[in-house]
Amino acid sequence: MPSASALRIQIEHALERRFPAALTPMPRTIRETAATGIPEIDHLLDGGLPVGAISEITGPVSSGRTSLALAFLAQRTQEDRVCAWVDASDSFDSESAAANGVSLRQLLWVRCKASSPAAKPTTKPWARPDLSRLDQALRATDLLLQAGGFSALVLDLGSIAPENGARIPLASWFRFRQAADRTRCSLLVLAQEPLAQSSAAVVLECSLMSAQSAQQSVLTGFEYQVRSSRAAHPTTLSIAAGRRKPPAATWSATAASQRKARA
Amino acid sequence: MNQNLYAYAHAEEFPAQALLRLRTDLAVKPVAVLDGRPPMETICSLNRLARLKGAVPGMTRLEAEAVPGLHLLARSAETEAAARAVFLECAAHFSPRIEPAGNETACACVLDITGTERLFGPPETLAERLRDALASAGLRASVAVSTNFHAARMKAAATRGITVIPPGSEATALGRLPLDVLELGEDPVEIFAIWGIRTLAQLAALPEADLVARLGPQAVGWRDLARGELPHTFQPIEPGFSLEEFCAFETPVEQIDSLLFVGARMIDCLTTRASTHALSLASMEVQMQLDGGLAYQRMIRPALPTIDRKFLLKLLQLEIAAHPPQAAVLSITLSAQAGQSSKVQLGLFTPQTPEPSRLDVTIARLKAIAGDDRVGSPVLVDSHRPGSFRTESFSIVNQSGVRNADEAGQTHPRMALRRIRPPTRVRVQLKELRPVSFFNREQSYQVAAAYGPWRTGGCWWSTEAWDSEEWDVLAESGSGASVACLLVHDCTHNHWQLEAFYD
Repeated sequence: MPSASALRIQIEHALERRFPAALTPMPRTIRETAATGIPEIDHLLDGGLPVGAISEITGPVSSGRTSLALAFLAQRTQEDRVCAWVDASDSFDSESAAANGVSLRQLLWVRCKASSPAAKPTTKPWARPDLSRLDQALRATDLLLQAGGFSALVLDLGSIAPENGARIPLASWFRFRQAADRTRCSLLVLAQEPLAQSSAAVVLECSLMSAQSAQQSVLTGFEYQVRSSRAAHPTTLSIAAGRRKPPAATWSATAASQRKARA
Repeated sequence: MNQNLYAYAHAEEFPAQALLRLRTDLAVKPVAVLDGRPPMETICSLNRLARLKGAVPGMTRLEAEAVPGLHLLARSAETEAAARAVFLECAAHFSPRIEPAGNETACACVLDITGTERLFGPPETLAERLRDALASAGLRASVAVSTNFHAARMKAAATRGITVIPPGSEATALGRLPLDVLELGEDPVEIFAIWGIRTLAQLAALPEADLVARLGPQAVGWRDLARGELPHTFQPIEPGFSLEEFCAFETPVEQIDSLLFVGARMIDCLTTRASTHALSLASMEVQMQLDGGLAYQRMIRPALPTIDRKFLLKLLQLEIAAHPPQAAVLSITLSAQAGQSSKVQLGLFTPQTPEPSRLDVTIARLKAIAGDDRVGSPVLVDSHRPGSFRTESFSIVNQSGVRNADEAGQTHPRMALRRIRPPTRVRVQLKELRPVSFFNREQSYQVAAAYGPWRTGGCWWSTEAWDSEEWDVLAESGSGASVACLLVHDCTHNHWQLEAFYD
């Protein structure tokens, strides 16, 4: 009686013209991960966000996307790594970043500016074209990824309308994925809807669950829910063993005063 | 005791050479340099191709313009000064004792090379290396070596290439040179012409007593000069080291490519000069004279001192592209500050960081896209004004260990804001002085909970005063979406604005 492996080879040989390596499992890419600093999300993602890949953090306004990204940057900068924040809508709040523990000196902040509506085409040979915020953000991201050396890069499209974000060509996302992979950079995309499609290794859907207050007079924090809608690359082999992961995780972000009170 | 040994480097047609040094596009064309006040300009210097075309020094502008294919340039004192500095700097590599010489149309210097044989080899080798060093700086020079200062000077000025006069053979070596090399003046030359004396050998053969009797005591010096025996007291100078290059254009330049073509050559010269002193360029200042009397000035500061020509040229290109001159360019000056070459100790276990030089180019490109003041590291300002910040230039040099104690160890996530810049005005409905609904861009929100007010104010003594009430608001839009935002009531102007969203 032929062994299973001999049978597999025989079947694959018969079908090789139509299905190359039909019964051979696809090679798995085991990606390195970096912790986000939020235990619930690290547990959900089996260690954290992937290094050298695109992670999308999606959700509506007030769904905790920015807090999650800042928590991740805080972890990375505390390891003496250099990060960048490409701010398409100029909405980054440095006080929030500092409160989350981000080392601001290790953060490169690119604030895209609104294109002036009165700008007219000029004939000067060295005049620069007036780019939209989205174009500026994409170009800046491309430059930073190609430069290399950044451990994490946040492309903040959180205030860009989803219909505008959907116009970003897939080729751009593919290029970003390649560059992130080559430079070992974790590219986080904050958006209202998933944009990168197959180029994203992880897509997280965030939503606001509840707000916490003290005596109904002081807003003390929020409770968010994060759902992992896709993980293109399993991070550890334990998934193959059939262990089911929870589909979602909840976490909370508190006000700075609450943290001090707990301490 | 060793005899003194002198090397004389002589660059003739220096006004033309100085102008063509940075203009490699004109080096293969006949070029003449005009000097004097218009319209009485005359040719003061020209290159070999111009001579072949029939141009000669002293021709007027009209005569020069009649020569077909001849490029006419205006003489530039700044260009010559920069080229002269380069000339002396090249010479300083071979001897610390240098005495400048030369005349109006030639740049020259004498080097005391006594005792340099063990460093540079025999005098022939030193002369070749000196000539090559000058050639690499864009200057063509003839070199003569002699134990007599004046013999070396006269020989180099009168002949091309390299000449080494053996000790004791000065008179023979100078014998065939015309009397012009002595620069005697009109009267003695006329007398010698009447006597039939035309070469130095003929002058050297005249009896000393008869010569003094007819022409006076100064004739002894002339005779000694002709025999290569006149002594000289060496007066060395200390050549200054300044990294500066200047180039004036004959017509105003509007194209950035043309500027960069010259800029590339200037950067080439600066980096070469710096590297010969084992230095790098720490910063580079670009100055331009613009049409209409305007001036242009920019500073380029790489993160680390460097001599990478391509990198510096790219920074120059990006700087000019980001800050284009307001008018056509008449002249450009590049001056650099020297710095010690950077030494970076890499480690196997240190986190990856961007390469400093590459990061400089990237940041310059980002500034070109987003704006100068919109790229950098955010810095908190010591102020109670909400949302105040400033940006500093981003640098990765010496970054390790800069985090303060508050930042280190902070792991718990905190509420984060997404600022709206500038804040948008909203219409707010109040009930018992608390917001119950607001309208933002034709979207209505019903307030589910409002926490506040938190009053802030400051700078009441200045025009930047603020006085406001902040409300943390949980609201639902008409579509059912929940938002948490920061509403601010400006008490000074009595209006409401949406400052930020919690996210």
